[in-house]
Amino acid sequence: MRPHQDDLDAEIRGHLAISIKERIERGEDPASARLAALKEFGNVTLTRDSMRSVWRHRWFEAADALVRDIRFALRALTRAKGLAATVIVTLALGIGANAAIFSVVRGVLLRPLVNRDEDRLIYIRQGDQGVVDATNMTFSVPEVNDLKSRVTTVSAFGDFSTVDFAMIGLGGEPRMVKAGVVGGSFFEVMGLRPVLGRLLNAQDDGPNAPGAAVLTYRFWTTSLNSDPTVIGKTIRLGPRTATVVGVLEPSVPYPADTEIMANVVTSPHHLGATMVANRTHRMTELFGRLAPGASLETARAELTAVHAAIVREHPEAYSAKANVQLKVARLRDQIAAPARTILLVLLAAAAVVFVIACSNVANLILARSVRREGELAVRAALGAGSGALRRTLLAESLVLCGGGAALGLVLARPLVAIVSRYAARFSVRALEVTIDSSVLWVGAGLAMAAAVLLAYVPRLPSPHAPAGLGLATGGVRITPGTNRRLRIFATTQIAFSFVLLAGAGMLLATLVVLQTANTGYNMRQVLAFDIPTSATGAGLGEAKLLNFYQEATRRLGQLPGVEGVAIASNVPWRDAGIFGPGIHFSVDGYKPADGEENPRARFRTAGPRFFAVVGVPLLAGRDFTDEDRAGSERVAIVSQSVAQRLFPNGEAVNRHMWWIDPYFGKPAPRRIVGVVADVDDESIVRGPAMTIYQPVGQIGMGGRLFVRTSADPYALVPAVTRVVREISADQPVERAATLEDVRAEVVSPERLNAFVFSGFAGIALLIAVVGVAGVLAFSVSARTREFGIRLAVGSAPRHLLVRVLSEGVVIAAIGIAAGAAGGYALARVAARFFATVQMPGAVTVIGAAAVLIGAAIAASLMPAARASRVDVLQALRSE
Amino acid sequence: MAKTPDDHRLELLQGTLDMLILRTLQWGPQHGHGIGQAIRSQSDDLLKVETGSLYPALHRLVKRGWLNWEWDLSEANQRAKYYQLTAAGKAQLLREQDRWSQLVHAIGRIMNPASANEE
Repeated sequence: MRPHQDDLDAEIRGHLAISIKERIERGEDPASARLAALKEFGNVTLTRDSMRSVWRHRWFEAADALVRDIRFALRALTRAKGLAATVIVTLALGIGANAAIFSVVRGVLLRPLVNRDEDRLIYIRQGDQGVVDATNMTFSVPEVNDLKSRVTTVSAFGDFSTVDFAMIGLGGEPRMVKAGVVGGSFFEVMGLRPVLGRLLNAQDDGPNAPGAAVLTYRFWTTSLNSDPTVIGKTIRLGPRTATVVGVLEPSVPYPADTEIMANVVTSPHHLGATMVANRTHRMTELFGRLAPGASLETARAELTAVHAAIVREHPEAYSAKANVQLKVARLRDQIAAPARTILLVLLAAAAVVFVIACSNVANLILARSVRREGELAVRAALGAGSGALRRTLLAESLVLCGGGAALGLVLARPLVAIVSRYAARFSVRALEVTIDSSVLWVGAGLAMAAAVLLAYVPRLPSPHAPAGLGLATGGVRITPGTNRRLRIFATTQIAFSFVLLAGAGMLLATLVVLQTANTGYNMRQVLAFDIPTSATGAGLGEAKLLNFYQEATRRLGQLPGVEGVAIASNVPWRDAGIFGPGIHFSVDGYKPADGEENPRARFRTAGPRFFAVVGVPLLAGRDFTDEDRAGSERVAIVSQSVAQRLFPNGEAVNRHMWWIDPYFGKPAPRRIVGVVADVDDESIVRGPAMTIYQPVGQIGMGGRLFVRTSADPYALVPAVTRVVREISADQPVERAATLEDVRAEVVSPERLNAFVFSGFAGIALLIAVVGVAGVLAFSVSARTREFGIRLAVGSAPRHLLVRVLSEGVVIAAIGIAAGAAGGYALARVAARFFATVQMPGAVTVIGAAAVLIGAAIAASLMPAARASRVDVLQALRSE
Repeated sequence: MAKTPDDHRLELLQGTLDMLILRTLQWGPQHGHGIGQAIRSQSDDLLKVETGSLYPALHRLVKRGWLNWEWDLSEANQRAKYYQLTAAGKAQLLREQDRWSQLVHAIGRIMNPASANEE
């Protein structure tokens, strides 16, 4: 029924025609009839408009007005390009950073998993929360069976354990793959589907099922080019074989990022008595699906109670000192947990940047509105209501913030890439984060928030107050109130920048300490390789393996440029934790005091010349030799801290030590033949690490190859691989890296921390400099007259320069003081929620303050110079 | 503007225009001009509806579903838009009439208490 524009016109024309006709019929002459009809009708345009507006929505009217205001704002802003550009870039930085961080937060913490009914999927672990290395002990098979048989609130359990297989097949060289060995219920519990073939099910369980493996989506797409013919192919996994039966849909790999998942039969270990019957042999991860009607809370209560009963029934399986408890979490929360703190901290940093950006923009807008006071006063005097004036300001800030948001979203794309790569260190889910529409909404929301805020920053001229003076002169008058507001905004920026700078400084200082620390190793000349031995089929300790090691060491030593070759069990840092925490041991003549534990030391094996190759000095006694083999006298080398702690009088050599852990059976004393310097091959921050080395030849365990060279280490990798393969064709030779690079890889989260935070701090500093410079420039330009008078009565230009500079320094100093106080309070609050809140050191704080003061001086220089060059006559005449 | 002979005309009470339009259309479809004329002649020239108020009011009533329109030729052989009451419009007219007589009665009692007491 809605009328068309022409319809309205026709209706009006019809009305006039009828009216004229009637008048003519009454005897008026046509010309005067027409005039009279028109006069009677009144304003045609107005009537038509009010007819049309009947059909319009109320919002349409408001939007129409806003569109007009926005057109006006665009025209006004083209006359202030510098201001517009500064505001847009500043906002873009703030909005871009927030949008990027938010999309990562959303992707990692909030988005549901692809698993079917993922909110009913739980992850169960046991551990002692008070012990660093025991927060997640995983489960043994008997424990899992007990839980399965007693719990009713969990409808099904899925088990998963990580195993490294030497894999041959699917093209390429023999290599180690990280695999998950899973029970038949695993995929059903996880609620995952295949994209190709089938997944493992109950028929794949048990010792008599044929070997079957499922490929993960990532492995299938990246390593196999999504080859559909892969189904049905046979692969060798160590000594066993398995058929590829399917490809898993893309899903979050948890608890381990594996390439394949195989059934139990592929791992001889999983069928052995140790795995099946030993209650302390814990290597199984446990997942569960809540039974219908059960909530997470009821399941948690039941699982905890059942677990406590199991612990009571088998006290021998749990350390008397440990307080082992069950933890139950939704899988989604469990996956997100490690990233939560870091992401929330980043979100806070991004929010701080946004506050800084907004206060800077508020500053610029405020300064602009002061310049516009004349214009606004005229409009108010002409009858514009305060609503209309606000709408004008709102339109302008909408244009600015919209521009900022648009640019910010462009910036957000590369930022998301950086931040998600960074967050991937903490949560695998970050890998799938892509920029999505949520970023748009966040950006738009932030821009709207900023726009509305900014529109209310300037004071409106009161229509009642006489604005005559301002109107008449058109000059800029800066009121004390405006001046104070400008300074408050600038101070806010400095304060927030200071907090960020101090935080970034702290992280950088940590990083510098880490990177320059002396590790005690020869970092650059030593190449480390993984040469895992399960591929050769040789069990631990067999003569074949030792012969392989001896032969490899001998032949590699003959390569040109090689200075030394050795076998050992641990690549520093990279293999941290593979033997768990230190193992209890004792020595001749040592008795622990009452209530004191036996000492613990790290268990390592080392072949002959290992210490010489990696550059750890031998302080006393001798190195291992080829004669230290199975059957000869049991020997050991201890680190300096062991010698000092247990043999304070310095007579460690030729005394005996023995491990006292059930794993080693009856204590077998080893004669200490040497003492080496302390090195810490687990922590990046070096501590005195009590370590005891055994000969590879006696323990029969190595797996890591160290080659020291005088030439370019990486140039040696092909030759080393070739020589090893000549001895054993199927032997994987992997992960070649110098110790320096191994350490760099481990340090990289810290490096990224420092990098991301420094980025934020850099942005903040930049914005703060612009802010201080803007405030001072404005204050100088508004005080041209004052400076003119000062110069006229004899002030030296130098004094004016110093005066303006000191204003900048005062703003910075107040900001720093406020930032220090606020930052301290913030850290105190944060310390209540996060365990690892550190206070930056004095040097860092002073450094950050110095940077800010320096930046403030730099920012003040230009306005100060302008103040000192004020043309006296010009200034005095200007008003 | 010079004073016109129309000065003795009454201002329409707020909100009564819609009722008058509905009432006028009770006798059959009519175009805008005709509605204006009808109100004027039936009030003995005491009420005059400005076209600037009449047309928006007509459109408002159409929008609320109380009137329909259709194009037709007028008696003067002129194409014009004819408005007519819908069923909802008739119901609305009854409601307004009711409300109006209550209002007149109430105001009458206040302005003329003596006659009210006689009832």
